[in-house]
Amino acid sequence: MNGREGGFALELSGISKAFGPVRALDGAHLALRPGEIHALLGENGAGKSTLVSIAAGLVPPDAGTIRLAGKPMAFRGPRQARRAGIALVPQHDLLVEAATVADNLAFLDPAAPFLESRRARRERVARVASALDLDVGPPDARVGELPVGTRQRLEVAGALLTDPSVLILDEPTAVLSPDETAALFRALRARASTGKTVLLITHRLAEVFAAADRLTLLARGRTLREAAVGETSAEEIGALLLGSAEATERTGAPEREAPPADAPPAGGVAVDGGGGGTGPSPALALRALRPRGSAAPPVDLAVAPGELVVLLSIDGNGADDLAGAAAGVREAEGSIEIGGRKVRPGDPLAYRRAGGAFIPSDRRAEGLLPDLTLAENLLLRRPPGGLLVDRAAMAATAADRLARFGVRATGPDARAGELSGGNQQKLLLARELEPLPRVLTAIHPTRGLDLAASADVRARLLDAAASGAGVLVVTADPEEAQAFGRPIRVVYRGRLSEPLPSGTPFEALGRRMAGLAA
Amino acid sequence: MRPLQAAAVAAGTLAAAALLVALAGASPLAAARALLDGALASPAALGETFARSTALVLTALGAVVAFRSGVLNIGLEGQLLAGAAAAAAVGPAVGNLPFIGRLAVLLAAALAGAAWVLPAAWLAERRKVPAVLSTILLNLVAAAGVTWLVRGPLRDPAGDYPQSRPLADALVLPPLVPGTRATAAVVVAFALAALAAVVLGRTALGLKLRAAGLSPRAARAAGLDDVGLRTGAFLASGALAGLAGGLEVLAITARLYDPFSAGIGFTGIAAALLGGMAPAGSAVAALLFAALGAGSSALQRDAGVPSALASVVPALAVLGLLLARGRREAP
Amino acid sequence: MSGFLEVALLLSAPLLLAAAGELVLERSGSLQIGLEGTMLAGAFTAFAAARAGTGPYAALAASAAVGAGAGLLFALFAVARRADPILVGTVWNLLALGATGFAYRLLAGETGSVLQVRTLPADLLGLPWPVLASFLVPPVLHLLLTRTRPGLRIVAAGEHPEAVRAQGLSVVAIRTGASTLAGVLGALGGGLLVLTISPTFVEGVTAGRGFLALAIVVFARWKPLRLVPASLLLGGVTALQYRLQALGFQAVPYAFFLALPGLLALAALAVSGRGGGAPKALGTPAP
Repeated sequence: MNGREGGFALELSGISKAFGPVRALDGAHLALRPGEIHALLGENGAGKSTLVSIAAGLVPPDAGTIRLAGKPMAFRGPRQARRAGIALVPQHDLLVEAATVADNLAFLDPAAPFLESRRARRERVARVASALDLDVGPPDARVGELPVGTRQRLEVAGALLTDPSVLILDEPTAVLSPDETAALFRALRARASTGKTVLLITHRLAEVFAAADRLTLLARGRTLREAAVGETSAEEIGALLLGSAEATERTGAPEREAPPADAPPAGGVAVDGGGGGTGPSPALALRALRPRGSAAPPVDLAVAPGELVVLLSIDGNGADDLAGAAAGVREAEGSIEIGGRKVRPGDPLAYRRAGGAFIPSDRRAEGLLPDLTLAENLLLRRPPGGLLVDRAAMAATAADRLARFGVRATGPDARAGELSGGNQQKLLLARELEPLPRVLTAIHPTRGLDLAASADVRARLLDAAASGAGVLVVTADPEEAQAFGRPIRVVYRGRLSEPLPSGTPFEALGRRMAGLAA
Repeated sequence: MRPLQAAAVAAGTLAAAALLVALAGASPLAAARALLDGALASPAALGETFARSTALVLTALGAVVAFRSGVLNIGLEGQLLAGAAAAAAVGPAVGNLPFIGRLAVLLAAALAGAAWVLPAAWLAERRKVPAVLSTILLNLVAAAGVTWLVRGPLRDPAGDYPQSRPLADALVLPPLVPGTRATAAVVVAFALAALAAVVLGRTALGLKLRAAGLSPRAARAAGLDDVGLRTGAFLASGALAGLAGGLEVLAITARLYDPFSAGIGFTGIAAALLGGMAPAGSAVAALLFAALGAGSSALQRDAGVPSALASVVPALAVLGLLLARGRREAP
Repeated sequence: MSGFLEVALLLSAPLLLAAAGELVLERSGSLQIGLEGTMLAGAFTAFAAARAGTGPYAALAASAAVGAGAGLLFALFAVARRADPILVGTVWNLLALGATGFAYRLLAGETGSVLQVRTLPADLLGLPWPVLASFLVPPVLHLLLTRTRPGLRIVAAGEHPEAVRAQGLSVVAIRTGASTLAGVLGALGGGLLVLTISPTFVEGVTAGRGFLALAIVVFARWKPLRLVPASLLLGGVTALQYRLQALGFQAVPYAFFLALPGLLALAALAVSGRGGGAPKALGTPAP
């Protein structure tokens, strides 16, 4: 097990973990050598975050062993893991915005004394900043006022305070500019050269091949590939990732489904490229739109009536924010037009009034009201009846729609929270697609659904487009993007590619998603 | 909440009450007898229970309307005071035209209650100030306002105590049954409870209010005007509390004095809690609290048990309920 | 009758103590709007202990002990069981008012005569030393919150509880500790009231001071050092108003002073915006 090619700094073997019925990890293996930068790769839901949470003592494993420098460990909590020499920088920063840089760093320092002067705290900042060559901002600045890049470096600095033998970073570059990314990797390389280990979770293959020494690829909770970066290629890993993506999102899919029979209307593709100069005004037109707080460039995008546009991107590249901004649920700068009518950004009510419909990525928090009944969810905006709601009519209308949209439930009076994920999504579609909207924005509409439910959701979205709605879909799954049979635009770091034909090979899509091709 | 839990809470509350009675040196059975006699046994006792329930029912409804729509209105006490003050200011001025006069008094009371919410609603939607904080502060200001009014502008020059001039006798609501204190105000309160149940449960507006209360984010994404719904519910809740104050003046006190309310607004919240934040349940809980209040004077007189028992027992019941029901989800 | 300054300090100290405890609890992310009830419990305990024959200092200590219990009880409901703290606080007020009234009746019997207790001796600058010591509490809390490790954790629990959890710390434990401290200080405030200003107990003897203390926390924008001028201002205007009344002046209506804390705190909220400096996770359940 160990001892092969010298000892490992950290080795996790046979790690399994289930959350309720969901198997997040199933015998995963991860071995890190001293002095290396190691990349951990895998699609959404592959189990990366769970695996590093186990390594950092945040989550206890159901089975498996953790060896730190050969010694078996069983962490009871993150403090113990930290003392042992494992520090995790989480994906979303856990800083106290109302406190200063100096105070945050003291909070992150397990060795901070009980009582400490302001000067001592300031000195810690100076010491860390110079030792690590990281700009973590002025000691007395409030963290809430710092740019995201600085906050991220502060979090890294906090993790490094204990000089851990293993530093784990969960998608550290998602919020960084290319310059900041390069600076971070320089600092990590300097650290590795002193014999310490760095584990990096990332989606960006370009970064892996530029910065890492070795990599581990997870799929469906198992380790699919462990290799030195030099022994493999971006092409091979990209293909494996895509293959695993397919497997992860569609457990047990026996064969690739065929693209839908109805071909895209010719006009749709044309308008997509041209921005809709001729003919009817576009169903949705975004001009110089930029979600507030985003570092991405402003975006222009038009969706014609009857057209379905697929935005394909890895999470964290701004496609979700862009679509959310289009639907008014994210604050944004720029302009939005629906059917030629100006709609104020950041106002979901105006978006709705202009004929917009929306399927958010988090259907339980932003889509449905789990405590209300199916009928109430469906007819929330306009329940039938006069002064009083006509309950019989409401139940009948709801039952009819539930049947037509294939929602399996005990009846219209069941609570939405009791439905399975697939049925919740169908319920949401039943609400958003009737009456037919002028434009529909759908973010990850099939995430977490099984094969049949996914196919059904796609068919409904294509139907809506065929009936004349403009549809904008965000997905992270290239096969899904292809399955729509419509032009695909890849989003990388907030930038849209030109429309690609749906037949573009996987590998080419994957390279673009990972930022390997322009 | 499961029936078993409800039974456990009820049993626990009764046991605690019996213990307190025993502590006061009385027999729990005799005390229960005295309590029931004082609350229910005669028309006068029953009338007292109903008379006391009026303001409690209305403030409980105010709590239900606000809380179900996602507004933590802890300022019902202040809004009740605003309503009572408006009633006491308008009442003597409208003379003795019973219908118009009463209508004017109640309208003024409801409007004053709603107006007392406005600063809190503005702070909540424009300044992100939690309604809890602003409404507590407005309670303080309202109590001070009553102190000022009864010593200053509204003071009755004829009286020795600082209190406002009384309403004309023709304006004050007569008892429904002679010899009792129950007036048409009771009917108004329970009618409004029925109305609130219908609005919340059976109308499109009620559905939207509930949706906004359950998840403002999902309601907003679905195209509901969550800000408007919340603000409307907040104002309606203030109007209900204001009306409670107005009816108290119109039916019972006929004037404003200081202190005017011994925490009716807070007891109303407790009643709403015990009533499961539903209008009907809350009205029943309010009636129960009122019966305890009415019976507790008899309890003190006949069994020597301090009447403060009437505020301990409901509080224990609600605490038991909170303990049994337990956790909210972290956001 | 002692001088104006003495009266002002005597009136400020209970408010200051109660507000200081509440401030720590709110900075940790919970809030007890039943502070009035806690003060009342402390006032009654001091009264009952003093009537039972303990000295005034022992009576004050008894208040603190009951306050600790009240703080733990609140934490059991609102922190550990995660019931809505607003509702727990509302009910706690009702319970404390009823229970102290009930117990007072049992103690006083039906006589209705006013029972006096021995007050704290004036041993330092013409004032009991606990009154002056109260003014040291805010600086100590300032040091606690800004310079110490527990202080950093309290602040983090009130701003970003998830960050506390990620460090392997328990938000429930932190808030329970803060609630216990808040209970002790709130009850001490009530006890001090009975053992200095009004050496007796009547139902609702705290007369809304718990709500005033809540207002002071808001007005001070959750900063301990600002509690001192805020409560001195209130104590001072109340003392001034007594003085004016004694001299027969009614230039400024008495009620204006009662409204002042609420108005000041509302104005502070309106001007400062974004919640007026309130902790970001105020009132949210522990993760």
